[in-house]
Amino acid sequence: MTVLGIRKATSGQNGVGAFILQCKRLDFHYCDWAGSSKGMNAFLRSSLAKFAAANPQVEMTVSPRPKKHPVIIGHYINGREKAICVRGLEPGQILKKAELLRDANGEKLKKVTKPVKSLNESVRGIWSPFHGGGIKV
Amino acid sequence: MKRIQLERWSGQLLSPRTRLCCLRQWNQSTPHIGSRRLQSGIGAEVSEVLEEEESIRPIRAGEFASPPPEAAARSAKLAALHARLALPKKLPLQTMARALVDLSADPDPQFNNTALSQVGGSLISAYVSEWLLCHYPRLPMTVLFAANYAYQGPSTLTKIGKEWGVETAAYPGSEVDPGLLQFNKLTPGSKVPSLGVSTRPDYAGFYRRGISSRVVYDDEFGDQIKFPEKDTVTEPVKQPTDMAYSNFVKAVVGSIYIHAGRSAARSFVHAHILSRHLAIGSLFQFKTPVRELARLCEREEFEFPVARILSETGRHSRSPVFVVGIFSGEDKLAEGAGPNLSEARVRAAVSALKAWYLYSPGSNTRVPSEMEEMGAKPWTPVHIDMGEIIH
Repeated sequence: MTVLGIRKATSGQNGVGAFILQCKRLDFHYCDWAGSSKGMNAFLRSSLAKFAAANPQVEMTVSPRPKKHPVIIGHYINGREKAICVRGLEPGQILKKAELLRDANGEKLKKVTKPVKSLNESVRGIWSPFHGGGIKV
Repeated sequence: MKRIQLERWSGQLLSPRTRLCCLRQWNQSTPHIGSRRLQSGIGAEVSEVLEEEESIRPIRAGEFASPPPEAAARSAKLAALHARLALPKKLPLQTMARALVDLSADPDPQFNNTALSQVGGSLISAYVSEWLLCHYPRLPMTVLFAANYAYQGPSTLTKIGKEWGVETAAYPGSEVDPGLLQFNKLTPGSKVPSLGVSTRPDYAGFYRRGISSRVVYDDEFGDQIKFPEKDTVTEPVKQPTDMAYSNFVKAVVGSIYIHAGRSAARSFVHAHILSRHLAIGSLFQFKTPVRELARLCEREEFEFPVARILSETGRHSRSPVFVVGIFSGEDKLAEGAGPNLSEARVRAAVSALKAWYLYSPGSNTRVPSEMEEMGAKPWTPVHIDMGEIIH
């Protein structure tokens, strides 16, 4: 037995094989009294049922938050959450915000500069000064 | 080929919906949708038991260790999890809820996921092992064990369960949302309970536990299979989180198999477990690579491997680099770079050995379970390797 096996764990690549939507819960908070919740209340009455039926993989909860602005909070699989205040927005705009939260992956926003991110080693290898004829000075 | 009767299987595994006190509840609330769906498979059997036990047990609300089956139909978390995993519609939410109840939450085998995870674990093990054997036929046994562990070990299955967005309940009970993973958590810092005694016939300490005997007696990771001792059960079992998660993931595969069939379970395992990333080359740890390479060349009737220096820089400096190639006759097997000649030679030998061991017939290689599909093409034999170089 000259070779030993090292125990490791595989790493997931969401979307390779199976895709898991990263948003697991959306909380809709509204106020019955305040005017900033007018659009939210209309959204909850008219479009939420349709939105929820179209996205069965997301758990949706609706709860009042009296005397506060309406807010949508998304909870993500990585443990983070994102909240968007939707005060004074129209139902259509609120739907856009809900879709934005649904499609987010929960990570902090960061600038993507490289076009490709890979777990594999580079096929070409690391440049070596000892190969390829050398450089004439 | 004779097909396995899924209905009969599911009868064995799922009929245990006969917890008597529960049955009485179902009987009283007949119009309830969830309970009607549950009874559909085992209707006759259930009604008989009902009549017998009608006057024996009193009903007390909240006396169960796990949520009642009818709660599954009302749980938003559970429905969302079902949809998130894109599980087949044939798999009911009640079975999904049962997959989330661990042995430590509900010791009743008719209501926890033990049976489901046993089935699912065997399936995962079979599909992962055949995939590894067909795609990497030359892996040494120790590395094959490690690769199996990497794909389907408890730590990986825990990661998978968490990546599915499954959370744990703080404490199991009948009032808990059925969409949460329920188990009796092991308190941090306490000793992990022993699983029991080994099932090996040569359990006595003076026998050598070699690799060949692990293939025969031990599990897919080369670990001993433990069997609980007879007279132990006094305290409620506590479960480490990784075991609870891995039992859950196995139980999901098992329940897909039972409700939706073999091909659905197979594609689920391929999509969620075998699609994950693993650099198998990083699982090797060589003890004597130079010697092993020499033995390999001898066995394969190649010329004796010779290490030759290809280039070097800064021999007398603080950071010299040597590039050494290993040649068998005219053929360069591999090369390696290191800060001294012997290190470079060892790296070159390791590289040559990995190139040998990691041979793969290609990603399109067929595995035996593909023959179970209807209308499969005739089987072409896969590559079977001679085996390891030095045991």
